Amino acid sequence: MKTMHTEEGKVIEIKMETNLYGKNDDLAKKNIELLNEHGIHAIDILGSIGSGKTTIIQQLVTHLQGKYRTAAIAGDITTTIDADRIKEKGATVLQINTDGGCHLDANMVKNALSVIDLTNLDLIFVENVGNLICPGGWPVGTHQRMVVVSTTEGPYMIVKHPYIFQNASVLAINKIDMADAMEVDVDQLKRDAFKIKPDLKVVFTNGRTGEGIPDLIESLNLPDK
Amino acid sequence: MHEAAISQSIVHTVLEEAEKQEAIKVESVEIEIGELTFLGIDQVEFWVKTNFEETIAQGATIHFKRVKAEIHCNACEFQGALAVKEDPGYHMNLPLFSCPKCESSDIEITQGKEALIRRIHILRQ
Repeated sequence: MKTMHTEEGKVIEIKMETNLYGKNDDLAKKNIELLNEHGIHAIDILGSIGSGKTTIIQQLVTHLQGKYRTAAIAGDITTTIDADRIKEKGATVLQINTDGGCHLDANMVKNALSVIDLTNLDLIFVENVGNLICPGGWPVGTHQRMVVVSTTEGPYMIVKHPYIFQNASVLAINKIDMADAMEVDVDQLKRDAFKIKPDLKVVFTNGRTGEGIPDLIESLNLPDK
Repeated sequence: MHEAAISQSIVHTVLEEAEKQEAIKVESVEIEIGELTFLGIDQVEFWVKTNFEETIAQGATIHFKRVKAEIHCNACEFQGALAVKEDPGYHMNLPLFSCPKCESSDIEITQGKEALIRRIHILRQ
């Protein structure tokens, strides 16, 4: 501690070395511990607004019904539209409104986990806020991250947001039925993804029809039931 | 927008420490931000200064240091700067997550993800 005297008093140097993401990282670890205690596997689902995150979750819930007991935590800036859509498919759903916040954080998910009955669940899908930049540095406390990009977002979505894919284990390239109309080469999107992360599991999906959902489930490598 | 969250965290942490240290004024704050946080320093500075208003940190000098991203390559043991692609069409320098020496993607980011309050200077009577 260095001190310098001035007319007003003493100026003191305080070494802090405070990691501003530290608290979030600690809470994220605690969330995973809590989930592990209950034998629950959690997946953070990221993607832009309109990429098809909610539709993919609806499909996953429908396909996994009877095998896994699922819940979803739906993060949204406002409205309960996404939560209502997932609830329709039979999953327990908890809505988090971020009131303008552009990403979920571990504390929000911790609060959500405190009001969900964790004793009767196997899987939790955490639908993050529609954004590919801000959630990058904020792990929420899940076992894996899945990114959803859609062909309607154009050919550069993956090369423009490399960091988000670096931290993901699975990528769903969604709305493949629109690829020709959008003149988007889905194989190029796949190559872009592999360039960032060679072991990323990439699956082509059509959230509306359910095409590719069984492959997506396989690539998520869910714990055995 | 994630600048707002981190700025609030900076303000809260600085004021808490200043109070603990019985400060009557915060003179300066030194902050280090890694380039892979994708935080806009101008925006963080604006929000921190705004939130410091009407507190003992009002008017404090804020020093920012942008920390370059570094990687370690597990394939060829390269340690050094992460390569970036400069393309004005993307509005930003795009990090390339592969080794600039051997092009392997088996890399670890060793620097550039941090957001850190390194030190503050406070005034005590």
